[in-house]
Amino acid sequence: MRIEHKHVLIAEDDKFLAGVVGKFLSAQGLQVTIAHDGREAVEIMEKTLPHLLLLDILLPVLDGHGVLKILQGKKIDCPVIVMSNLSDKLVQKKCKDMQVKAYFVKSDLDEATLLPAIKKFLR
Amino acid sequence: MAKKTEDVRRKLAITAKKLRIKAAELAVTAREKENVRRKLVVTAAKLHRKAKELAVTAREKEDVRRKLVVTAKKLKVSRETLEKKILERTKDLDQSRVKCEAILASIGDGIVVADKEGKITYVNKTFEDMVGWKTKNVLGKYMVEVVPREDEKGEVVLLKERILSQVLSGERVIADVTQPFYYIRKNKSRFPASSIVTPILLSGEIIGIVETFRDITKEKNIDKAKTEFVSLASHQLRTPLTSIRWALASLKRDRLPDEQNYVVSGAHEAAAQMAATINKMLMISRIEMGGIDQKRTHVSLQTVIGKVVRLFDGDRERHALELAVECPRQLRARVDEQLLIEILSNLLNNAYNYTPKGGKVTIRAAQEDEMIRIDVTDTGYGIPQAEQGRIAEKFFRASNVASREEAGTGIGLYMVYNIARLIGGTISFVSEENKGTTFTLLFPS
Repeated sequence: MRIEHKHVLIAEDDKFLAGVVGKFLSAQGLQVTIAHDGREAVEIMEKTLPHLLLLDILLPVLDGHGVLKILQGKKIDCPVIVMSNLSDKLVQKKCKDMQVKAYFVKSDLDEATLLPAIKKFLR
Repeated sequence: MAKKTEDVRRKLAITAKKLRIKAAELAVTAREKENVRRKLVVTAAKLHRKAKELAVTAREKEDVRRKLVVTAKKLKVSRETLEKKILERTKDLDQSRVKCEAILASIGDGIVVADKEGKITYVNKTFEDMVGWKTKNVLGKYMVEVVPREDEKGEVVLLKERILSQVLSGERVIADVTQPFYYIRKNKSRFPASSIVTPILLSGEIIGIVETFRDITKEKNIDKAKTEFVSLASHQLRTPLTSIRWALASLKRDRLPDEQNYVVSGAHEAAAQMAATINKMLMISRIEMGGIDQKRTHVSLQTVIGKVVRLFDGDRERHALELAVECPRQLRARVDEQLLIEILSNLLNNAYNYTPKGGKVTIRAAQEDEMIRIDVTDTGYGIPQAEQGRIAEKFFRASNVASREEAGTGIGLYMVYNIARLIGGTISFVSEENKGTTFTLLFPS
């Protein structure tokens, strides 16, 4: 799949990390938007439906689970990849039950793993 | 004259006749008397014998009487001794009963004793305090009626069917902190408990059961706090590490001059190593707390080994090592795939890290009766003889490799041993310094 000009929303409160990941994805030709909390992410999703959401779980204002619940409630159909440093199996299961396509533990994740996953699940 | 003589003769004849008759009569009388005399002699003899017998009997009776007197005396003494002994024993029994009661009452665990039908025959003071029922309310009732057992979700555990039957078949059943249940008090509130149920055996026959249990609210809270701490700590460690990894990766992408690229690559690898260490520590924490739920599925050993080999292909190339895999295609096992991958990853990673360039690593898998045997053999540095006993210790690193540049934390093998135990298997090894090492995993297929 051609990924140029596809829109990816990164919901990540760590501004530095969001910037670095965003820079990497931009370099691959993707159009990247960054939201720093859950509510901001939902607002952006409602305005411009991205082709994929990269979602952190521990987010201020509204956490990742909350974001997923709202998206489900509003029937916003967008593939979601979770990137979180929570490795608890229960959290992972909760996400998979909410239609999350893939769950990555951030500290174990590298570019070589993330990029193919994004390509695979882009809407 | 003649007539006179004739008369005399006649008279004499008559007299002679009379005399003859008399003689005959006398002879008869004499015979009769002789008979009587004989009979008298026999009778006398009989009487004599009888008299003798009576004398013997009398003597014997006297003996018996004397003996009876002695026995009576002895019995009297015995009875007195016995009474004294009974008094002493009763006192002893009273003492030990009081002692036992004091011991049982002072024990901080609830104790309940039941007969072999499972009906309660004794409870201690702690039982009364913990569940709120008095002894008099519970004797003769089933434990399960008095104190129902619930699981985490509040569903009743059928103690009578499950545990009791296990114990009555002679097993000792232990439920500890890793498999808690709840007991319900008289006032319907509940507390998490751990218990040990033991059969009471008399000459090999089960005559009842004893259960000791304790309230593990505190342990549960500590356990929860520890889990929360470990997951929080690992999350807090991972967050900055993630930024470091991505930042270094982004620098590497910028095609730096060789010297800088060397430094950045080293830092990037170190960050990856640290992430792996955090994962291992989380894993160990989960194993030690018994928090690992195994998901057993039928897996192909060839597929699993293939996955593990691919994970470390980069390391193998970097160390310029040769790898051989010998695994029958049809070899399968019912096991938690992730746990098996964890064990094999650690063994293979160790083999790669501790084998000098140009060496060879072999993975060999085979069925052995009901078990699967997997050997990971290297031609590496080996483990010094003197240190081989310590290899499964947490944070232990062999002296011949600790000083080398190869990174290692000493928790990999500790984890391998623990996970192997978790899947019902064992780890063993043979090693010779500077020749190599073979680690063997044996687990039920």
